This record gives sequence, C-alpha cells and structure tokens, in this order.
Amino acid sequence: MKLKKYTPTLVAAAIATVLLAGFSATTISAEGSAPALAPLGDPPIPPDNLQTPEKIELGKLLFFDPRIGGDASTGCSTCHEPDQGWAWAEDFSRGYPGTVHWRNSQTIINSAYFPRQFWAGSASSNEKQAKSAAKGGVAGNGEDDIMEARLALIPEYRKRFKEVFGTEWPLIFDVWHAISAFERSLVQKDTPVDKYLQGDKSALSEEAVRGKALFEGKAGCIQCHNGALTSDTDYHNVGVPPNIRWEEDGLAQITFRFEQYAKGQTEEGYRSAKSDWGFYYRSKNKWDRGKFRTAPLRYIAYTAPYMHNGVFYTLEEVIDFYDRGGFDEEGRTTAFPENKSPLIKPLGLSDEEKADLIAFLEAYSGEEIMIEKPELPEYAPLFTKAELEAAQEAK
Amino acid sequence: MGVRVKTGRTVLAATIGLGVALGVQAGEYPDLGPLPQLKIDAAKAELGKRLFFDRRISGDAGISCADCHKPENGYAHPDALSPGYPGNGHFRNSASLVNTAHKNVWNWDGRIGTNLNDMTREMLTEDYIMNMDMRIMQERAKQDPVYVKMFKDAGYGEPSNGSVRKAIPEYLKTLTSKNAPFDSGKLSPAAKKGQALFEGKAGCIQCHNGPMLTDLKAYNTGVPENFDVFLDPMNHQAFLAFVMFQGVPDYMNMKRDPGYYNVTLEQQDMGSFVTPSLRELKYTAPYMHNGMIGTLAEVVEFYNGGGGKDSRKSDKLKALNLSAEEKQDLVAFLESLSGDPLTGPGYVWSEEYPSEYPVIENWRQVRN
Repeated sequence: MKLKKYTPTLVAAAIATVLLAGFSATTISAEGSAPALAPLGDPPIPPDNLQTPEKIELGKLLFFDPRIGGDASTGCSTCHEPDQGWAWAEDFSRGYPGTVHWRNSQTIINSAYFPRQFWAGSASSNEKQAKSAAKGGVAGNGEDDIMEARLALIPEYRKRFKEVFGTEWPLIFDVWHAISAFERSLVQKDTPVDKYLQGDKSALSEEAVRGKALFEGKAGCIQCHNGALTSDTDYHNVGVPPNIRWEEDGLAQITFRFEQYAKGQTEEGYRSAKSDWGFYYRSKNKWDRGKFRTAPLRYIAYTAPYMHNGVFYTLEEVIDFYDRGGFDEEGRTTAFPENKSPLIKPLGLSDEEKADLIAFLEAYSGEEIMIEKPELPEYAPLFTKAELEAAQEAK
Repeated sequence: MGVRVKTGRTVLAATIGLGVALGVQAGEYPDLGPLPQLKIDAAKAELGKRLFFDRRISGDAGISCADCHKPENGYAHPDALSPGYPGNGHFRNSASLVNTAHKNVWNWDGRIGTNLNDMTREMLTEDYIMNMDMRIMQERAKQDPVYVKMFKDAGYGEPSNGSVRKAIPEYLKTLTSKNAPFDSGKLSPAAKKGQALFEGKAGCIQCHNGPMLTDLKAYNTGVPENFDVFLDPMNHQAFLAFVMFQGVPDYMNMKRDPGYYNVTLEQQDMGSFVTPSLRELKYTAPYMHNGMIGTLAEVVEFYNGGGGKDSRKSDKLKALNLSAEEKQDLVAFLESLSGDPLTGPGYVWSEEYPSEYPVIENWRQVRN
C-alpha cells in the first residue's frame, strides 16, 4: 500500500483524533492501518438463529410475502427487488403506498456480513433490520398484531413455523429470524476480485489490476473500503450532497420531516434540518452530522444508484465525485462541511485511471443472483361452519 | 350514564337487578326527548369536515373516515361488517356517527369511555382500521396549503396530530339529528301507539332511554354470531389482531365476539354489547353489532321472541307476544326517530383534494 500523499499529517491527525474523541466512531486510516483487501469467507451465523434448509425456505416465502406489511401490499422484496440488485433502482427507495422513503434501498446480497444494518447502523442485526423495515411508517408500516394474525390464517405457514420453531402458532418474533436466515443465504464470495486475491491472477483484467493499485494507492479508497467486506463498517462524512429531490417533490418533503421525528431530533433540528443528519440520529453528537456507514462495493454492478440518498446513478459519477474531493459536478457537497472527512481530497485522476478504477470496482460483482419467486401460500378459514354452529349452540 | 371501564360491571349488575321485563313504570327511565344543542366552532368543524373525507389521513392514503361511515348511510356502512383497512376486513358493523358527539361511551364493546379525541385516535391508528402513523399524518397536513390555512384559521396554529384529533370531533358535533318527526312532535298515529308500546308492553325503554334512546350500557341480547367474521380470513385476521391486542385469553380458539368481555375480562360480560342509539335507523341498516339483522321489522321480531339464545342473556328480555299491528306500530315509532339525511354540503366535503402534494417552494430557505 502506498499512501504517501497522506502519511505524515494523517498519522498525527489520527492520533489527535483518537486522543480527543476517545471512542469516536471515526478514526482515520493511515498507511498500514487499513486492513488489506481480502477474499470473502462465510458469513457469521448468530448462535441464536442457526441456519437450516427449512428455516431458509420459510424465510424465503416470508421475504416475498406482502402480507408482512401494513396493507398486505408491501413485503421485503417490494423495496429489495431481486431484479433491481435486491435493492430499488431509484434514488430513494419506494415506500409504503402513499409515501416515499428518504434513503436509498441497500442490497440484501452480503448483508449477512455486517455487524449493523441501515445507512446509519441503527439495527444491530438482520433480525432487527427486518423488523424495523416491516414496521416503519414509510417502509412496511405493519403492526405485529395484524401480521401475526395473518400468518395464523395461512395453514402452510402454521405447518412450517411449527416444524422450524416448534410453536403452535406462528410468532412475529420468529418471522424476523426466518427472513434473516434466508438473507444469510444470499451471499456472493466468488467474484473476480475474490478469485484474484485467492491467487488466480487471470481473474482480473489488466485494467482492473491497475485499478486495484489505484484503489489501494493514489485514489485512497482503501482507507475506508477495506478488508473482505470492502467496508470498515464505520461512519464517515464523505461530502455527499443532499438530494435535490427534497426541494422539488412534496411527498419527499413530507417524509423528510417525518424522519426527523422518527429518528429523534430536537425542536430546532426539526425546524432547520435540510439534509439527512445520518449517524447523528444515533449518537446525537454534532460532529456525526452527515456521516453514513461505508457502503460495501460488492455487487454494485447491479445496485445503482449509489450513496445513502442515491444521488449518483453511475460509477463514473461516483469516481468523479471523489476525484473532485467530495463535490458533485455542480460543486455541491455535504451540508456539514465541518464534519467532512479529511481523507476526502482531490485525487487528480486521469481519464484512464478512472476507467481502471471502474474496471476494478466492477470486478467486485459476480453473476447476478436471480431467484425464482416462490408461490405464496393462501389463507384458509381456521374453523369450519359446523364448529362455529356447535359453538353457537353451546353459548 | 354510560359504561366506564372501571365501574361498568357494578352499574350493569345493578341494572340487571331491577329485573323488570314487562309493565315498565313511566318515569323509571330517563325521558326520551330531543337532543341538547351543542356549541360548535364553525372553523374547527369545517377543518374536521375536510379531514373526515380525506383519504390521506389513513396509512396508505387508501381510505377516509367516510369510507366506513358514509353520509348516505347515516354515517354507517350498508354492509353487515365494516370494510376495514385495505389488506384486511373487519368484524363488526360500522356504527352510525350521527349524534356520536352526544355519547360518552364509544365502540360496540364500550372500550372507550373518555372522549371523542381518544376515539378519533383509536380509529386513525389501529392497524385494522386506518393504520396511520400520526407523525406522517401531521406532515401530510403541513404539506397541503389548504390545511395550513384552515388549521391557522381554526386557531390551532400549524397542523398537528393533536389538532386533527380535536377538529374531527368538532365536525362530528355537526352530525346531529335534524327534523326527526319524533323531535318535532309530528308522530303519526301508528308511531304514537308504537311509542306507548316502546315505553310499556315491549319494554324497549329499559335500555333504550334518554334523548339518544340508549343507556350506553352493555347487555347480552343473544344476537347470533356473524360467521363471516370467522369464515372469511380477511375479517378473522382483523378480529384476531384486535383480541390479541386487547389481551383476551385463548384468542386463537375464540369462536364468538367477546364484546364487553374484552374490557372487563369477566365471564359474565361475554357477548355483551353497548345499547345502540335508535336514532337515524332509517339509514343505517343492517342492524346489531355484527349486522346480523337486516330490517327493523326483523329486529322487532327478534325482540318479540325474547332475543336470541345465550346462557348469559339479559333477563330483561322476555317473549313479548306483540300482535302484527303492534309490531308495525313499533317500527313506525322507530322510523319517526330518523330525521333529514345529513348529506348536503353543510355536512359533506365536496371540493377535490389535490392529487399530489404541492412542493414547498424555496425549501432550503424556509423553516420546516
């Protein structure tokens, strides 16, 4: 790794940051401190939710079932559509009917590897993410009671939940477990980069190999996009500008204000916020405004648009953004420049270097993961008319 | 008057203890009569009216209050069971909202005995009814300049979910019976005979008394179950979500509507429902908590037979031995309790709602 450009000042800055901020979420990577790129292993499986084929199969049904949502029209797959990279191909995720979301939908592929979910890491597991998304007002808007009631009236689910979880009736708690088990089966660890890092030097094109060197060197991507995950799983303000849609779309303005409530905001913050404060909503520290979790670079060939608010539709735009030191083509940057990571600086990349970087990034995606959508089991009455008549008679 | 969560059982027991079925004494019950005038704030009521008919105050913007409480049906619904929120059905009949502001107990099971603000909250947020996250509701209202002005003109300041829950009840006050023959003293001879039966031989007045013709207490009259609640999974899921939330024991095996039992969890209250008002019945068929009886003649027949079959049935109910003419007279009296339909522009919001939310211009510069 060669990060000469940054080395002396950044080491000092990193030390100062650590000293000043203690356990601050942000530490600055300097030469030698970023974990090397590595091939991806198997995802961690939590001991309280072990994988079984039956659980994964049940989770697959539930993932695609819109009855896990408020009005039975929006399930997980509604915003994490396999045909759209298991994400949603618009800047903001589509939302519950009557709403739009305010952040970009992230891919399910390889979500299993991350210790926290969502752009600001508000869920500490897939299980918690699934629950939060199914219930959130601009996502699934589902309530536990009605969702659990629906499952009880679907004989196939009663049978499968009993087999997998041993309960007489399906429990909403177990829904999140089953969905997470399915999600943990959606991994991709055989990309050209993985093969290359495992020793198959023919797996990457010459351009991609040159792009790798830039990634680890001049472009400095590896400072945050590192290790096997291509993410330090930490939170940074890289300068992504607010989505202009908030200035032009009434529905998006509604959600924007709602989220200030939903995520926890002061009165003044609610009145004055004009951008997504990101990690601030969790830490409530002003220096965390505009920070988001480093996005993994795996599977990105299928998951445009990019960034937490989907402002860039192509990888070229993303590279240009970083090449300018965290500014878009109109010179826009984060609403919190004071928090912008000092790692983000103009890179001075040539056109060829940019193309090489993109070749390398694209090599982090393998085959598109497609799946046959399952046929969903149907409702059936729980009681027969004869049983109801007998109960009436016994009143 | 009225069932309160804490005192209901005592009141109910005392009432049953009267044990009067036939030969009701005049003056024993609150007088039937016209409803008192309510003071209405016009600007607040107008705002409430716009909200009442606005589908954007439900979770998926799919239904308004008026979709289950339809003006042409006396602010009830013509189906036996209310439609409920999209994605599920319902398990009870939609109750008329005409005169609802004169009550102090709401829902067929009497589970809300505080005020219409709470009742409005219940309808807006329950998952099987309107499933609305009220933070989103507030922000939707703030996005509509018509609302911004109306909230301000009503003295509420900027739109808030708290003000929605005040404005809708203010509108509901306007839904008060108007020009009912009974109130204007224009009873037909048959209706007059019917009133005498109502207060005497038929004993209706034991529960249906006072200006609203209800004591707002819960009784078991043995109305048969509506099996559609359980045979249609769309309805059954709403029922299950409800009893689950209410903490009713063994709800998965429940094959009847528990009624007031879900408030008290006392077996004696199983299958009891709050006496409905008898005003505006002309518009609000079908009848009973589950819409099981289609016409007033059939309702009278039901009580003539002493009600339905239930071991916990109120002992106020006995076979009445009414003649065919007496039954007709009773129906005539009941019909005299219905006034003008409240379907004119004074009651119904008729202007269109915007098809999309207008953008707040200059968004970056203005405060949220």
